[in-house]
Amino acid sequence: MNTDIIIKNLSLLTPELIVTGTLCFVLLGHAFDRKNSQLYVLLSFAGMLTALFTLTSYIGVKSSVFSGMLNVDPFATYFKIVIVFATLVILVMSRFSDEVNNETETVGEYYFLILSMCLGMMFMVGASNLIMMYLSLEMTGLTAYVASGFTRKAKDSSEASLKYLLYGAFSSGVMLYGISLIYGLTGTLNIAGINHVLLQGSANGWALSIASIFIIVGFGYKISAVPFHYWTPDVYEGAPVTITAFLSVASKAAGFAMMMRAFKVMFIDSSAVSVLAGTWTFIHGVQIQNVLIILSVLTMTLGNLVALWQDNMKRLLAYSSIAQAGYMLLGLAVLSNDGFAAVMIYFVVYLFMNLGAFYVVMLISNKINSEHIDKYKGLGRKSPFLSVALAVFLISLTGLPPTAGFIGKWMIFLSLINAKMIALAIIGVLNSVISLYYYVRVIRNMFLRDEQEAGERMTFPYAQQILLLSLLIPTLYFGLFFNQLIEFAQFSVAMVGVK
Amino acid sequence: MENILQLLSNPIVSAVLMALAPLLFILPYALVTIYIEMKMAAHIQNRLAYMQTGWHGTLQPFADILKLLQKEDIIPTAASKFLFILAPYLVFVGTYSSFAVLPFSSAFIGSNIDLGIFFLIAVSSLVVVGLLMSGWASNNKWSLFGALRSAAQIVSYEIPSALAILGVVMVSGTMSTQEMTHFQDGGIGQWIIFGGNLPLWQKLSLIPFMIILFLIYLVSSMAEVNRTPFDIPEAESELVQGYNTEYSGMKFAIFYLAEYANLFLVSAVVVILFFGGWTSPFGTFLSGPVWGAFWFVTKGMLFVCLNIWLRWTLPRLRVDQLMYVSWKVLTPFALLCVLAIGLIVVM
Amino acid sequence: MNLYDIIFYFFAVVTIASAAVVVFSRNIVYSAFSLLFTFFGVAGIYVLLNADFLAITQLLVYVGGILVLILFGVMLTTNVVSVEIKTGTMQTLPATIIVALLAGLLGGIVWTTDWFVGKRLSEVTSQTTSKEIGTALITTHVLPFEIASVILLVAIVGAAMMARRERSNTNI
Repeated sequence: MNTDIIIKNLSLLTPELIVTGTLCFVLLGHAFDRKNSQLYVLLSFAGMLTALFTLTSYIGVKSSVFSGMLNVDPFATYFKIVIVFATLVILVMSRFSDEVNNETETVGEYYFLILSMCLGMMFMVGASNLIMMYLSLEMTGLTAYVASGFTRKAKDSSEASLKYLLYGAFSSGVMLYGISLIYGLTGTLNIAGINHVLLQGSANGWALSIASIFIIVGFGYKISAVPFHYWTPDVYEGAPVTITAFLSVASKAAGFAMMMRAFKVMFIDSSAVSVLAGTWTFIHGVQIQNVLIILSVLTMTLGNLVALWQDNMKRLLAYSSIAQAGYMLLGLAVLSNDGFAAVMIYFVVYLFMNLGAFYVVMLISNKINSEHIDKYKGLGRKSPFLSVALAVFLISLTGLPPTAGFIGKWMIFLSLINAKMIALAIIGVLNSVISLYYYVRVIRNMFLRDEQEAGERMTFPYAQQILLLSLLIPTLYFGLFFNQLIEFAQFSVAMVGVK
Repeated sequence: MENILQLLSNPIVSAVLMALAPLLFILPYALVTIYIEMKMAAHIQNRLAYMQTGWHGTLQPFADILKLLQKEDIIPTAASKFLFILAPYLVFVGTYSSFAVLPFSSAFIGSNIDLGIFFLIAVSSLVVVGLLMSGWASNNKWSLFGALRSAAQIVSYEIPSALAILGVVMVSGTMSTQEMTHFQDGGIGQWIIFGGNLPLWQKLSLIPFMIILFLIYLVSSMAEVNRTPFDIPEAESELVQGYNTEYSGMKFAIFYLAEYANLFLVSAVVVILFFGGWTSPFGTFLSGPVWGAFWFVTKGMLFVCLNIWLRWTLPRLRVDQLMYVSWKVLTPFALLCVLAIGLIVVM
Repeated sequence: MNLYDIIFYFFAVVTIASAAVVVFSRNIVYSAFSLLFTFFGVAGIYVLLNADFLAITQLLVYVGGILVLILFGVMLTTNVVSVEIKTGTMQTLPATIIVALLAGLLGGIVWTTDWFVGKRLSEVTSQTTSKEIGTALITTHVLPFEIASVILLVAIVGAAMMARRERSNTNI
């Protein structure tokens, strides 16, 4: 490989390079002006915005760079846009967060960590080599461990960090074991190459199943699927709200993207006739469709049931996000392009509604310094705008029309029905009904219950309200005008290495 | 006679013999160096040292060794016995195995592996573990303090020294110690400190960086052998004797031997890296396998003497100064040098 | 059994036995020191596999870096020896069953699978692997290599951030 090829490859990675450059600048800025958080936000925001703009010019590009280490394809670009957008929102959110701003000493590192987490995720969604997958997973993980322990005064923040680290270390260890088994079976780490070798059918079915399950452990931890979810509530509760929101959206999106790519490219039986029709099957010997179905049912049911008992908003949203991962896993278990597109649509929707919900929780906790659900009583009177917004986000998370959440769920259930998996669709709908209870509980507290002590109206600066609006409007907009989104997602399902 | 030759040609026997060969050097070398150190220290401090045992005290090292061998080998009751016994050997093994890659002459090197200098950096980390082990196993707070200080110091100074070595590797294009020496063959002007046998303009522009790297390596190697001014691990005014406080008799002797062996080792590395290894300073004059060994040992002993000289001249550093020198002075300069050398070599 | 096999089994036994000490020792310092021999044994096996660069890197990184750090951590913690390390006391029966099942499964897989074989040791002609590794690192694997450096940067910043936090706490 000579310099020309490297430069050509790098030019396809411009967004990543921009993010890398931005994080270097933030680090340098930190060396000179430690406490100027305004500067970091501006720098990072400008960098991420540029990255977003460059990303849009890569829509439709389908290429493989650095000897098959990384794929730049519509699928990756779609998820990169989701991730970069989430990062932008998180950056602005962080600027408004008292939790973050109180840590004047380390605020520069905070933005550095956010950016490097974003970089790790951007590599995750494109990784097409098991080494790259593992490395980018670790990069996201390492930053997430540190970031979730960011608030120095809160004791549970350190606890969150430690728990996250221990679970992360364990699951990535298991995943590495799976990767090593795969390498031992096929002699290559490139996922398309693995597929090629596996198709010749000489690999031991048992070994292949065990290896794929071990790899699922690594992914499952990242997307907090049951039974690898134990870290989620504690980390989500202990970490600063901004980090929690970031982990629940971007990290999950990256984990899903990596998992989808891994399964679709690595384990697909590309000789089967149905591939062109959009549905596909796993290679004989890899029995993970059932595993995925069991995982998804477990995940959404457990997430929803446990959420019923939660009194802390962050914990409630944590379990709710576990449940949401369950719905998305359903879309994955369908094993069709429709299912994949549904998951991708869901992520865009989820980005707005979940970030919005966390943002409102953060604004309220800025004012009353609590995340307890009882403290939300009478909020409808104190701050009507915030309460209405939160209500919309929660309704959207439930999946009721006319919000965007409905479209997301609808697409997933539609793909299930198309694939004749009616029972699963019914389980999913039942779960949504359960989830209605705890979401409505919050709404009821805000509007129908009176506060214990009379509080004055809460007022928020316009800047904070604008961010809220820019999350609220898409949540409603995509509930009504969704055709373009669906078309874009269906266009973006295309991956390198798959017909 | 034939049987002996046959025995020698057996790979295992010859490997064992080759492994023992550096010991034949280390033992007499240690005796000589103990004497030199004693005398140099005395003369620096304007006194005479031992004059009674033999001519000018020449027999004193032998007397010291005899004394050490006769001493009772005490293991403290509260010590962790197994680790206490193991530690000195581990320290010695760490040092001694590095001798495997020292090219004493063009004809003699323990193991001419391709990664010689890298191997040397790696196995010397065994010494750190040995020191920590001795400090902990002694169950004595002075020992533990000494061991921890020593480990912190060695680990910190490994970074600038490894960077300095990296700079030389970039110039010579090899990590094999023997190749590196061949690279410098052909007289004093070809030594790496003078730019090796590269084209003239590269040589000239390399010289300043090479001198900086040489100083960096010299300082950090002094820190790695735990001698004054970097002897805070065994600062006798603070810590009694540091990690080997509880040791006596043969085990203490082994620590002592390892320290002197290590001293020669780092001096020899300086010679290999910057001063031509076994090559003669006069080109082909006085060169050859035997002369090679002579030059190697002579140059090595010169740097040993430099170490001794500095030891008895400079005061001891404080812990914070020690860390400051490593992290804020040596490492940045070493990084800059590596960068500059990279640019020069590529162009 | 030739010399090669003897050396291999020697290193294998050293690795496994010391790893067992690491796990089963009640004294955390013994566990930490025992790791030395585990790492060393693994490095020895690397040498036997003609992976010289890997072997030396193993020594440098694990013995010189990680092990020393672990020892530091252990020794700077007060009352290391008197701390009871709880191992294997909770839910012994289910754990045993699961571990036995998993071990049996993995063992069975190892025996029955037709593993991929790259190059037999007898076919290896080059004396050293460092050249090939170096070439790979700047050609086919340049991206992971560079990303690893970003990861290390992130790790350093993260570690520095967490460490500084302690100091500012004591200052207050």
